[in-house]
Amino acid sequence: MRVEITYKFVAGFIIVVGSVVFLNLLVPSLGIPEEMQQFVAVACAILVGLVLGWFFSRAFTANIRHLREAAERLSHGDLSEPVRLPRSSFPDETADLAASLNLVVASLRELVGTIRASAVRAAESAHGLSATSEEMTASTQEMANTVEQISRGAETQAEMVEKSSRLIREMAVSIDLIAASAKKLSASASDTARTAQRGGTIARNSMAKMKQVLGDVERNGEQIVSFGTQVQKIGKIVEVITGIAQKTNLLALNATIEAARAGEYGRGFAVVAEEIRKLADSSSDSAGEISRLIESIREESQKVQSSMQESIREMDSERAALDTTSSAFEEIIQTAVATQTKATSIAELSQKQAEGAKGMVAAIDEISRVVTDNAAATQEVSAATEEQSASMEEMARSAQDLSALAEQLLEAVRRFRLAPEQG
Amino acid sequence: MELVLVFRLGEALYALEVAHIQEVIESPRYHYIPLAPAAFPGAINFHGSILPVLDLGAFLGFSGDRQYGRIIVLAASLCPLALAVTAIQRIVPLDADALLPCQEDGRLAGCSRAVFSLDGEMINLLDAAQLLTSLEKTAMGTGGDHGA
Repeated sequence: MRVEITYKFVAGFIIVVGSVVFLNLLVPSLGIPEEMQQFVAVACAILVGLVLGWFFSRAFTANIRHLREAAERLSHGDLSEPVRLPRSSFPDETADLAASLNLVVASLRELVGTIRASAVRAAESAHGLSATSEEMTASTQEMANTVEQISRGAETQAEMVEKSSRLIREMAVSIDLIAASAKKLSASASDTARTAQRGGTIARNSMAKMKQVLGDVERNGEQIVSFGTQVQKIGKIVEVITGIAQKTNLLALNATIEAARAGEYGRGFAVVAEEIRKLADSSSDSAGEISRLIESIREESQKVQSSMQESIREMDSERAALDTTSSAFEEIIQTAVATQTKATSIAELSQKQAEGAKGMVAAIDEISRVVTDNAAATQEVSAATEEQSASMEEMARSAQDLSALAEQLLEAVRRFRLAPEQG
Repeated sequence: MELVLVFRLGEALYALEVAHIQEVIESPRYHYIPLAPAAFPGAINFHGSILPVLDLGAFLGFSGDRQYGRIIVLAASLCPLALAVTAIQRIVPLDADALLPCQEDGRLAGCSRAVFSLDGEMINLLDAAQLLTSLEKTAMGTGGDHGA
């Protein structure tokens, strides 16, 4: 039965007072002298009071001591034992205090346990966080390396793309040159074809003229032959004249002989005969001259004829050569036309190629832009990765700090001794 | 002054007095004389009379082509004979002082009376009498006849 201390003091006081009263009543009946009676009663009352007080105080002090010891244990962090007061029939406020202390201990124990578990978890988490952040740092470092590589690759790519762009531009220039050359070639082929056509025309004209000349030469040859015939006729006439001159000569000779035979009478006749003979000689000489001329004319005309035949033969060969030249011109024309066609198609192809090269240049420019953007983005990523790495390091530091804090907290709550099963 | 007719026998020049010559004619067609000596290529018809023709070059022993350009008909008073020669040169007056004695040289000596120079060329003066004598000797020697 719970009795408050106040009531206990009141009850004790009442008991002391009651015992005084009781003794005062009792003592006279005991046969004790009068003078002694008062004394005994007081002594008995004091004794009762002392006993009662001793018991009461002893119990109270014991309780207080227990409480103090429990509080000391608490102050030393020993939460292993609850506050146990001696069993009392009349618990008082000390029991309440003990119960309250026990509640405090339980709360503290729970709190410390929670704190310790939390600190442990926090430490573990901090460790994990630290490890994770280290891993993340390593990963970030790796990523940074990778990004660095990517950045370098992007730079190389940019260079390659630049080089490709330059090469393709050069190629485009070359293709333009090829196209220009093909155009020039086409023009040249066209010129060649025109020239060859002119040449062919000239060769045909030459053929016609040569035929004309051949006809003229043949006519000339015929004329020379007829001229030779005429000259031969003259020769016949000259032969006749020569014969006449010879006969005349002979006649003059015979006349001279005859005149000689006539002697003195024939002298004048002989002179005439001599004159006739001289005339005949002179006729014969002239006729011989004419014959020689005719001979030389005949030789000349033969030479002319043979040279004409030579000319005709040469003309024939020249005609053959002209034929060959004409056909060669035809072939040249065909070749030139074919060349022109091919050159034109080359020019068209080169044009298309040039357009394709322009498209390629545009695409390469686009690629270059993309690559440049890529490089920039990669640099940004690199910077971000560095920032992230720095953050990670910071986080790792924070995690380490947190771990240290958790350690400190653990160290702080370690002095609390909990129940043995709780550590 | 005596006139002589200069004529050619091959390349050699001969001369004959005009007095011994009847006429000079062109070489006509010959008529073959059977059994005649080789020096007689044939006979000709001269103004109706048949005259034997003597190849003078062959008779005098000249070799070479037988080209008879002209025929000299000897005077009928001398002998009815015609001489075939290569060609007639002309009639020239003969200066007796220019005559040189002929060298004694085989058969030629028998027919050449003398030698004279004309325009730098040496001409043999044919001795007609000697020729006829020689001809007769030959004809007698071979036994052949010569036409009348």
